[in-house]
This record gives sequence, structure tokens and C-alpha cells, in this order.
Amino acid sequence: MDPSSRGAPRRESIRQARRMSNWTAAALIAGTGTAAVALAHQAHQATAAGVAATGAASAGGTAGTAGTGTSAAAGPAVAHSVATTTASGVTVTTTTRTVNGKTVVTRVRHAPAGQDD
Amino acid sequence: MTCGAAGLTRPGPWQRAPWQRVATGDDTVAVAERAALGTSARVAVWPPENLGAACAATGDVLAALDLQASRFRPDSELSWLNEAGGGLFMLGDGLAEAVGVALAAARWTGGLTDPTVGAALVSLGYDRDFAAISQGGKPPGGHDGEPPGAPVAAPGWPLVRLDGPLLRLPPGIRLDLGATAKGLGSDRAVRAVMSATGHRGGILVSLGGDIAVAGTPPRDGWPVAVAEEPDQAVPSQLIRLAAGAVATSSVSARRWRRGDAVLHHIVDPRTGRPAAGPWRTVTVAAATCADANAASTAAIVAGGRAQDWLTAAGLPARMTGHDGRVCRLGGWPAGDGRPVPVPPGSRVYAGGPR
Repeated sequence: MDPSSRGAPRRESIRQARRMSNWTAAALIAGTGTAAVALAHQAHQATAAGVAATGAASAGGTAGTAGTGTSAAAGPAVAHSVATTTASGVTVTTTTRTVNGKTVVTRVRHAPAGQDD
Repeated sequence: MTCGAAGLTRPGPWQRAPWQRVATGDDTVAVAERAALGTSARVAVWPPENLGAACAATGDVLAALDLQASRFRPDSELSWLNEAGGGLFMLGDGLAEAVGVALAAARWTGGLTDPTVGAALVSLGYDRDFAAISQGGKPPGGHDGEPPGAPVAAPGWPLVRLDGPLLRLPPGIRLDLGATAKGLGSDRAVRAVMSATGHRGGILVSLGGDIAVAGTPPRDGWPVAVAEEPDQAVPSQLIRLAAGAVATSSVSARRWRRGDAVLHHIVDPRTGRPAAGPWRTVTVAAATCADANAASTAAIVAGGRAQDWLTAAGLPARMTGHDGRVCRLGGWPAGDGRPVPVPPGSRVYAGGPR
């Protein structure tokens, strides 16, 4: 067999392998880039959600400075006080019951007068 | 080396108290209350459907804290420690954190709060839970005719060494975590609730008036009333708390008579006597409830130096004197419905509350 004709399929095979390799490399680069962008996007979303959810009570209250009432856009509007900060007295129990269709709230303070004055 | 009393689970009387829904006339938040730790616990949560999970998580936290750090339960880990007469102890994680927070608060306040004040409180007669009074028990002090014992100054927090869970307690020292434990409980509860509810919505937990919030607050912040007396009919002020915590200490609550002396529960560690400064009630806002709890107690003990100490600490505060005079510090709002500026950063938790 002519040596030159024997080398032609070999060169063609090498060329084909190079083409495959180039396409594979291009696909890898494109895939890596896309994955990186997607991961970065997800990480940003997770960070934002985490900051919104944890507030100042996490990590030593690092969000505390912003706690001036301006970051509460997502919460409901609540006009009445829901709790009282005061010196801890003795046990106070609140009982809620319905009488004639009306809600009656009773607060019982468990200490005889004079013992906790 | 000795191991702690973990594993004892006999519940205190308050643990059988159910949560009671509190009607507020508002269906955007749900509020419930129950007895806890000798006082009352309250949760406010939105969305309202989170209430069940919030009550369950808070109840678990308070039951665990009671078993770890109550001075009045004979089966608590702390009582066991106090009765052991000193030594080297391996604490459970919960009590190790509670003692660590108390020691950090003592360091921060320069000893104005001090967990070694336990013997001083017992000497004054504060040797049982105030809640016991409601069950026919004797009031603190035991015998009305008996005068208070000789004052016992606190031995001093630097004598107590904590390295992780390993505690070295010298003989004769009795620990009392009252200056930080309620705040710690509120901090733990709001974190547990946020975890239980998938960090959805917002939560407020009040433990005897020491309040922590987490998550997304209502618009403009949680509305919180400030009262100078525990049973005050009309609050002194309404504030908004969007983040962090607020706590109040007062010499008007938890008082008892012994002999001719009327005593209260805030003891000056330096003298072993009830604090006798010019301030009746102090409310402090801070990044965490343990910080606020410690700072408000320290301010009562600091007396005439309270303003300087709170200003140096950079904490907003509202102080009421025995003469009714009100003093506001650190940007504490003057009017009703105004937000309290809460500074960042905790001084009592290492690396943030755990």
C-alpha cells in the first residue's frame, strides 16, 4: 500500500479527534460559566432571605441598628400593644372565655396582697 | 470530676399550666400567655397560624431552662450544683451557656451583676419561688417576725471559672442567674420559634416583661407598653420594637417583709443588701434580651452612676426615680408609638446568642 494513502485516514482521525476535543472544551467552558452564574444568583437570594428572616436576634443582634421601625414593610399593621415590659412580678395568668357571645379576659395575679408589695 | 443532674425531668407546677389565647381584637397577630418560671410568659406571633408552633417551641425552651437554671427547684442542675459544696463540674450545654452568659454580664457590668450573689439572696430570705405563695406556701423570708440575716457580700464572679462545659466552683459559693436567665430564656425562645416556623413571619416572646423579638416585625415594629409597676393599669409609654430586645428591672416587684424590713430581689453584690439607689425602675433596649436584662439590673444597682454606665454602654434606657422623675438616655423616644433605636452587638454572648 502507498504510504501516503495509508497516512490519510490517520490524519483524518486526528483532525476529527481535535474537532471533538474543541467542541468538548467549548461545551465545558459554557457549562461551567452558566453553573457559576446560577450558583451566584442562588447564593445572593439565600443571603437576602436569611437577613430578612433572622433580624437582630441572630449573630449578636447585628441588624439591631436598623431596628428603628423602618424595615418592617412586610409585616402587618398592629396598633395595640401586644406585651408589656415591666418588672417581673409574680405569676399572672390570663383566662379568656366567652360569656353571652362576648369574650371576657380575666387576669389573675397569684400573690396575696401585702406579700408582694 | 462530677457530672451534672441532667436527666431529672420532674416538671415544676407551672409546667402544667396551659397556654391561654389572649383576645386582642386583632386577627393579624395571635397572642397567648401562660405561667412560667414563677412569672408569666407571653408569645405574640404573625401569621396567626404559627401560634401553635410558637407556644410549643417556647414551652420546650422554658421547661429546659427551668430544669437547668432554677434556684428554686431542688431537682434542677443549678440546685444540684449549689448543694454540692464546690468542686469541678461538667455542665450540660444549656447550663454551661447560662453560666457563661451570667459571667460575661458580670465582667461587662464590672460586677454590678454577679452570679455569686446566691448566698446573699438566701440570707435575705429569698429562698423560694414567689409562685409558691399562690399555692399556700410561705412567702420569701419564711417567718415574718424574723429579722433578715447578716448581709453576705457576693464572693465575686472572678472566683468562678468556666472553660467550655467545665466549671470550677469554690466551696461556699451559691450561684444565682437571676440577672440574665429570663433574658436568656426570651432569646432562646424567639430563636426556637423562628426555627420551628421556618423563619416565616415574626415573633415576640415576653418572659416576665423581658421581651425579645425576631423575624419580620409588624409595620413600624412590635407595639410594646412600658410599665413602671407590674400591675400598672395604664402603661407609662408605648414604644415600637422592630429588632432586638427590651427588659425592665424594678425594686417595686418581688418585695417581701422580714422583721421590720421591706426587702426586694435586686441585691447589690458589693454589700449583700437590696440595692438602695435613686432609681425605682429601669427599662433598657439592647441587641439581645440577656444584654437588656443584665443592663437594667446593673443600672438599678449602679444607683447614682447608672446614667454614666448606660451612656458608656451606648444603650437606650428609660429610668424612673423613687420621686417619679423620668430620665431618658441613648435616644429613648419621648412620645408614644415611637421606635426604640436598638444598637447592634451583644456583650454577653460569645459570637452571638446560641
